[in-house]
Amino acid sequence: MNSSENAPGAASFMDRNYFLLRRLHSLTGIVPIGVFLCVHLLTNSSVLWGAVAERGGHTGGWREGGVAYFTREVVWINEQIPHLLLIEITLWASIIFHSVLGIYYAASGKSNVSRYSYQGNWRYSLQRISGYVGVAFILYHVGTLRWGWTFLVPGGTEWSYQFAASTLAASLRGGNEGFTLAGVVVSLFYMISVGLLVFHFANGLWTAAITWGLTVSDRAQRRWGVVCAGVGAALLLMGWGSVLGYALLDPAKARAVEEDAALPHDKTVIGPDKTWRGNREGEHPLAEPGYPWPGTETAVTKESQEGPLQR
Amino acid sequence: MSTSAHAASHAQRPSRSAKAGRTVRFRILRCDGPGKPSRWETFAVKVEPGANVISCLRQIAANPVTVDGKATTPVVWDAGCLEEVCGACTMVINGKVRQSCSCLIDEYAPDDNNEITLEPMTKFPVVRDLWVDRARMFSDLKRVKGWVPIDGTFFLGAGPRERPKSQATRYVLSTCMTCGCCLEACPQYNIEPDPEAWETSFLGAFAISQARLFNMHQTGKELAGERLDALESPGGLNDCGNAQNCVKVCPKLIPLTESIGAMGRATTIHAIASWFSRG
Repeated sequence: MNSSENAPGAASFMDRNYFLLRRLHSLTGIVPIGVFLCVHLLTNSSVLWGAVAERGGHTGGWREGGVAYFTREVVWINEQIPHLLLIEITLWASIIFHSVLGIYYAASGKSNVSRYSYQGNWRYSLQRISGYVGVAFILYHVGTLRWGWTFLVPGGTEWSYQFAASTLAASLRGGNEGFTLAGVVVSLFYMISVGLLVFHFANGLWTAAITWGLTVSDRAQRRWGVVCAGVGAALLLMGWGSVLGYALLDPAKARAVEEDAALPHDKTVIGPDKTWRGNREGEHPLAEPGYPWPGTETAVTKESQEGPLQR
Repeated sequence: MSTSAHAASHAQRPSRSAKAGRTVRFRILRCDGPGKPSRWETFAVKVEPGANVISCLRQIAANPVTVDGKATTPVVWDAGCLEEVCGACTMVINGKVRQSCSCLIDEYAPDDNNEITLEPMTKFPVVRDLWVDRARMFSDLKRVKGWVPIDGTFFLGAGPRERPKSQATRYVLSTCMTCGCCLEACPQYNIEPDPEAWETSFLGAFAISQARLFNMHQTGKELAGERLDALESPGGLNDCGNAQNCVKVCPKLIPLTESIGAMGRATTIHAIASWFSRG
């Protein structure tokens, strides 16, 4: 260590790596966070379109097919996707980096939309507001659904990936018995936050193109703006559709579909009753194909065996 | 640059026939000197056809009495060319920054007793009343080496030829008059009274655009790498938040956001190339 590093006036770490940190902040917003957002909303919105892509042979309506498809996707992500831990570490490191630096950078600006109420200036301010709200929402979203902060969930539902749709529906509605007031508040918070985060990504995609110099001319910036607006509109449709799709789902009906249709991704049928109830014993569901799954005997009810929607 | 949309956002308002011999009120934010408190004073001015803000300020200076009948000091302002090419008389008029010499009263206050608000720019230290100190802009031009390096001890001969296409792009960039409108409207540009901090504070759209102007010049190119280094350092181009207010308020219709995109591209390439080549 040379002594000049601590001398008065020595450039700080932030200053010495100014360009790299700024560009990494921009990059992490797109890869991996933005890419994850796209995949996440695509998977979540499968509750609406999953029936079309149904691979499990469900013959119920679009809603049942959507729940069945979504359930298999979630179980696959939680148990079979390769390198899940690596994906999670990369994602969290990026989100923390992007959020902390974003808040630090945002503090250097001062909104002036009251005097200069141009559309671009509104987007500048909204980009910062959506960042703040986004951080709060991500903490609530992951905290309540993954880290067991059930005290923040109206009705206290504990989310589980084996029953992803039904427990999510109950978490959004405030319980299994229709909407509560707190449930409406949580659902609205989801709608607003998802909208803001989608805006944050789409607008960030647009500004990043200027920062990196992808778009130079005014017309190129406008053209790219149309593309970003299109991406944003599609993501917004998926995001809002997902929130509404789960909030308007009857948790009991969804649970029946999940118990009936929760097959692993590769359609392997587990257990003599052709139901698979997830890896609740901490073992891999494919460990003993064809054999009764631990806990199945006691957990399977008549309804779940026959299933209201089974072929 | 779509100049039509750009121009539409500019000062031109629907022309109305202004009332002859009318009185217009000027509400002015006054300050007696650096660090002194500010106060509002209102003056009534009988305007002549074709009057502008500067001509009205002259009338106020000739008879510095407020509407309440209180005698006060003449309002101080800065001005130079009076034809919107020097930038000295820039101030905040009715909440938006622009040059006061080209601000016509007939457009802003066509009727009797209309009011016009005058404030000094908020991003520079006030010297007195509407006069601000824009020395930081000159400092930022030095940061980006906003000149063509031709100083030497002997005659260098004719410079390289300029191509018409590049010259056409550069011409509009060269019309920058360092007025500070782009900085006043920028949410990322903050007032910094301490000159020690200027080196690492955001230099703003005008300096980025000037770096582009001189990097496109055949001889100015000699310093291209140093200008890009400056734009990659703290307070450089990456402080831009892309609100794009700068291009909306630029009185010379300079495509500042195109310059930011162009220099964004140049810094991206320069930074990657430097990382792989710099010793």
